Amino acid sequence: MKIMLPYAGIILLIGPSNSGKSTLLKQLVDTGQVLSSEIISSDEYRVRVSDVEFIDWSHRWKDVSESLYDEYQRISAEAFSLMEATIEARCRLNKITFVDATHLYPDDRKRYIELAKKHHVAVMSLVLDVDEEVLLSRDKNRINPRGKKRIKQQYQVFKREKRFIKKEGYSATYFITDTDEVEVTRANSNPVHLEVDNGIDIIGDIHGCYDEMIQLLEQLGYEKNAQELYVHPDGRKFLSLGDIMSRGPESLKTMLFFLRHVKENQAYMVDSNHASKIARWLEGNNVTLNHGDELVAQEFEQYEHTNELAQLKEQLKEFLLNAPSHYVLTKNGIPTLVCTHAGIKDEFIGKQSDVISDYCRYGDHEGLDDTGRPIRKDWTIHHKTSLLVVWGHDPKPKSLIINNTINIDQGVVFGGELTAFRYPEKKFVAVQAKEDYSKGQYNPLIELKKKRLDPPNIAKFNDGFSVLTGELGKVKISKQYALASIDSVSHHTIPIEEVVYIPPTMSPTPTTSSLEGYLEHPKEAIDYYRNMGIERMVAQKKHMGSRGILFLFKDTKAGRKYVGRETLGVIYTRTGRRFFDIETEEKVLERINQSLAGSDYFNKYRTEFILLDAEIMPWNLKAKELISSQYAHVAENAILDRSKLKGKIGNAVENNVDLARWLKEYDEKLTNAFVFKEVFQKYCWEIYEIDQIQIAPFHLLAHSHETYFHKPHTWHMEMNKEFALMDNLFVETEYMVIDDEASEEKVIKWWNDMTGDGHEGIVIKPETFISKSNGRLIQPAIKVRGRKYLHIIYGMDYLEPENLKRLKKRNVGKKQKHALKEFALGVEGIERLVNGESIERVHECVLGTLAMESDPVDPRL
Amino acid sequence: MFILRWQVLNAMQLTIRGTGPDVNMLSYLMAKNPNNLYERNVSGHLVRLFFGKFSEEEVEVTIFVTPDSIELSRNNSQTYEITSYINDREFAVSSIFCTLIRTALGTALNGKPKEEYEAWVNHRFPLQFSFGPVASHLSDHELLDLFQPLGYEVLITYGEVDYSMDLKSKSIARYITIKGMTTLQMGLRQLFVLIPVLDNYKHYYIDEKEVEKIERYGEGWLDQHPQRELILQQALRFEELYKMVHVKTERHSEIVAEPTMRLNDLRYEMIIRKINQLTHRERIVDLGSGEGRLSEKLGFVEGVKEILAVEPSESQSLKALKRLEKVERNENFVMPKQIMGSLFYYDERLKNKDIMILCEVIEHIDEFRLPKIMETILNDYRPRVLLITTPNREYNEVYKMDEEYRHPDHRFEWTREEFSRWCQMQNRHQEYELTFDGIGEEHELYGKPTQMALFTRKEV
Repeated sequence: MKIMLPYAGIILLIGPSNSGKSTLLKQLVDTGQVLSSEIISSDEYRVRVSDVEFIDWSHRWKDVSESLYDEYQRISAEAFSLMEATIEARCRLNKITFVDATHLYPDDRKRYIELAKKHHVAVMSLVLDVDEEVLLSRDKNRINPRGKKRIKQQYQVFKREKRFIKKEGYSATYFITDTDEVEVTRANSNPVHLEVDNGIDIIGDIHGCYDEMIQLLEQLGYEKNAQELYVHPDGRKFLSLGDIMSRGPESLKTMLFFLRHVKENQAYMVDSNHASKIARWLEGNNVTLNHGDELVAQEFEQYEHTNELAQLKEQLKEFLLNAPSHYVLTKNGIPTLVCTHAGIKDEFIGKQSDVISDYCRYGDHEGLDDTGRPIRKDWTIHHKTSLLVVWGHDPKPKSLIINNTINIDQGVVFGGELTAFRYPEKKFVAVQAKEDYSKGQYNPLIELKKKRLDPPNIAKFNDGFSVLTGELGKVKISKQYALASIDSVSHHTIPIEEVVYIPPTMSPTPTTSSLEGYLEHPKEAIDYYRNMGIERMVAQKKHMGSRGILFLFKDTKAGRKYVGRETLGVIYTRTGRRFFDIETEEKVLERINQSLAGSDYFNKYRTEFILLDAEIMPWNLKAKELISSQYAHVAENAILDRSKLKGKIGNAVENNVDLARWLKEYDEKLTNAFVFKEVFQKYCWEIYEIDQIQIAPFHLLAHSHETYFHKPHTWHMEMNKEFALMDNLFVETEYMVIDDEASEEKVIKWWNDMTGDGHEGIVIKPETFISKSNGRLIQPAIKVRGRKYLHIIYGMDYLEPENLKRLKKRNVGKKQKHALKEFALGVEGIERLVNGESIERVHECVLGTLAMESDPVDPRL
Repeated sequence: MFILRWQVLNAMQLTIRGTGPDVNMLSYLMAKNPNNLYERNVSGHLVRLFFGKFSEEEVEVTIFVTPDSIELSRNNSQTYEITSYINDREFAVSSIFCTLIRTALGTALNGKPKEEYEAWVNHRFPLQFSFGPVASHLSDHELLDLFQPLGYEVLITYGEVDYSMDLKSKSIARYITIKGMTTLQMGLRQLFVLIPVLDNYKHYYIDEKEVEKIERYGEGWLDQHPQRELILQQALRFEELYKMVHVKTERHSEIVAEPTMRLNDLRYEMIIRKINQLTHRERIVDLGSGEGRLSEKLGFVEGVKEILAVEPSESQSLKALKRLEKVERNENFVMPKQIMGSLFYYDERLKNKDIMILCEVIEHIDEFRLPKIMETILNDYRPRVLLITTPNREYNEVYKMDEEYRHPDHRFEWTREEFSRWCQMQNRHQEYELTFDGIGEEHELYGKPTQMALFTRKEV
């Protein structure tokens, strides 16, 4: 007798004592077909909890017998509750469990059927059907005979129950009369597991867009062979996330394509909402075909080969009904990725049940909206495991990475894209739809676009939140700082939809200079990068002004498209506030727009906007009040104080030689005060007209269709040169490449000369924009400020040996952490912006950086 | 670069110069040997004293502090947040100076020299005290008013402002010299009271000891000083402390009725009156509830079951909480629920309420941002009634105002016509009935100072 075991679940053995349950299991263990840990036996659990397997309460005094019986019941109760807990745990872990007990009464069996259902695993019964005489004779020979009376009683119950067992709802029931004849077959691996092997290309919702699908497969490298099958030379396979039909032009053709490729082992497909509806229709059920399913029926009607139709329908029905709810991709047997149509719960992964199938088809939803569409809930927020979940169903303008899940339904049928996610490469390949097949009907992509600028939902932020960044994973923002940044956004910043990026903070050198008389020196920055394995670096002059972000539009129409108002752009500070007053901003924007348009910039790069990260000078543009009331004020006080004291001590020194020490000290202090006064004026000049403003961009962050984080800093510097050539409001930034000892020396000399002249210093960056060391993100930039400049940061006397010694103990740990997180948030936000995601998703990153900045760090770093 | 708040880190110096017979006694009164340099480390700062001149007829002694600048700025950056509400991040050294040099000048201040010189304690010398730099918000005139009544001649000199660009015309770093016949103890005591008065902010928390100190040092001159009020107020920054020495003196008994205050009350009154006329007034939202003045009044409206006070600012919300807690136990008061929220976000908690109020809120928002907010309110939140108040710009004529707005943060102020037109535009789906009203004293030409619009949802 051959028994097919499910991959996981509960195998209930049923039969009276002595029917051979344990013998059968022992035999399976001995032949290596079953692990002993897969068997849970009530006898064993009785021993485990009470040290005894059996208590014979017959042939005793009545009171003794009753007491023994009670004890046996208590032991059994404890043993069964422990057993059940163990079985439940094994079900959760998707394991198979043989339950070795008599299970003679329906209630005993029902418990396990429910348990299996609750945990979405199979439940199967093996009924040991043995004659009464055999049972009785075996009982005589066992060590603890159960007694004739009990065996007889059990057999009566068994006989009565036997005919009902089949109908109790097992996935299979086997009646075994001879245990010797039993052979089991079991799956070595989970049927929904798929080994990645040479790679799998996961494809989003196709919806009958056959041509786009073929185009995508060809782009992925699949070639049509002699049997008209699309196969990959490297042995890759493709996997559809379902909804290959409905809405679009060629559902039938697409279904037949998959039917063949799946059969021929070249492709896979998971179940989906449209597929299940079509399957039920093919089964002959009474279903209302709508939301594009009616087009599938039409295609069947118009199908040419009418004689094949019935057979075709049968095959397709089987194919669709057999599609698993989801697949789990494995690397050497280890699960790493889940493919599902609409969503999945973590506890469903690797299991199969009707409930799971339904969830995977529709995702999490609650009720219907005014137009009868399901209100989709965000199932991804509950996803906690490390498995990456790839899903479709809910069209997004660009592949959306959220909470360790990736949506790759880019609505090809709505005129969007058909996306493939290549695994294990984790690369996206997409083809553009030839047209919008929705033909003016409800189009989710257009609906999303309309809603793009809707105000963000405050509920997402005001309890604290975390942002999933591509570069650094989850960045957590605590409630305290989230609230502070919402406060700031509500009062001070420019509109939420316009502040699309906040530049990250930057750390100074990780360690202070080993040289005497220097707090910072390029050496430490270069060493930091060399230790991280970075050989090529770019050193850029650090301008001293105020940080400014320029979000510039091609024309006011582009402004309306991207920020919802007709504007040529916006220029804002690193805290998200408007940089200039409105009139000056307008003048600057108009001037830049004319120059760029004059150079045909927007057409040349086919972009509707430019996002620039820049330093805007002079310093006094933003900081005049601060300079006057703080820096100048300090200088005046210091010079007044120190010159008076120097004078007084100087006059008295001839009468008291001890004063010479103080005189020298005050002479130096006065010099320091003059340096201080000289330094801050270096960054200031009078502004009479906008021509005197200088804008030094150092990153071209994005154009409307592309971000530029993949470009090296040398490219960014060259682009900046281009800007400087187009308009003299833009100034070029000098830079040098460090790639060997000689260039390092050159940069250090350059830094020394420049800072000796009072310039702020340089910034050293790895040549690539996003740099990692051993897979970990490293500081994207390190500033090295000059000796003179630091007078206005650390105080005019900071170079006095005693002071410097203490300052060299500074710690940049927190600053560096912030710098990394803010960098990751910045990159993420701009990616989202360029991908056309909602402003809520962009704002999440912006708010994150603003929140990090409300967490105080030593402002001198 | 970062906006880094900088603090004045300079020491102050005080030079005492005396001329005339027996002036050398000053060194005994101070208990300082004129031949030695005095140098003490007080919490990392160096307090130093030397005699620049010393003869029978001429003595010049300078006491100064060389502060530990690193320590000062480090402490400041750490305590940045905590002290910001009493100390505008600026570090005025004049009061710290007095604290630091008090020990060095203790003998002179207390008038306790060695017994044989005690007679000189009350001896008046022709003395000159020079000190600076003074970083004070007081004008030169106010400085003169502090020292001249004490019989001093006052001379003020300034720091240099020779900058490469036009930063300022005059330095506020000043060096002050006062001259007069006085005893050393009196002169110093006066300085120890008055130097902290010059100080914009004090660096330490002021407690009762300060009161005692002022009473001691001020003995014999402060009560007669015409600027006594100002001196006490400045020296004892906190009101509670100020009251302790102030009980005897009467304050201005007459409170000048400010028109804006009255208008506020009228506004609230009008809003409450309007609400009382509405059938549905169970659930009310006060958008931009600020310090909770209106929310408090809403809590007493009959029939109200829920009030949401929506405000993004934490500091305002804390003030509101204090205000509301005071009345929380009143009978018939519905405690408003404070919500951290903002008009620039979507907030599902605000949906489908009976009444939403924007009381003097819209004029604080850039005009171009308002349509989006109104869209969210009228189409997503969909209250039965939306009530908006905003200044009537025409009325500014009555206040004799020119082009300026009533509040520096106002982004606009509208005429009645502008407001009405704007409201019509926001109601483009025609789902609301609009009525207008005014609040405050009516002018026949310019109307009332505040205008109000009531959006009432048309019954379907």
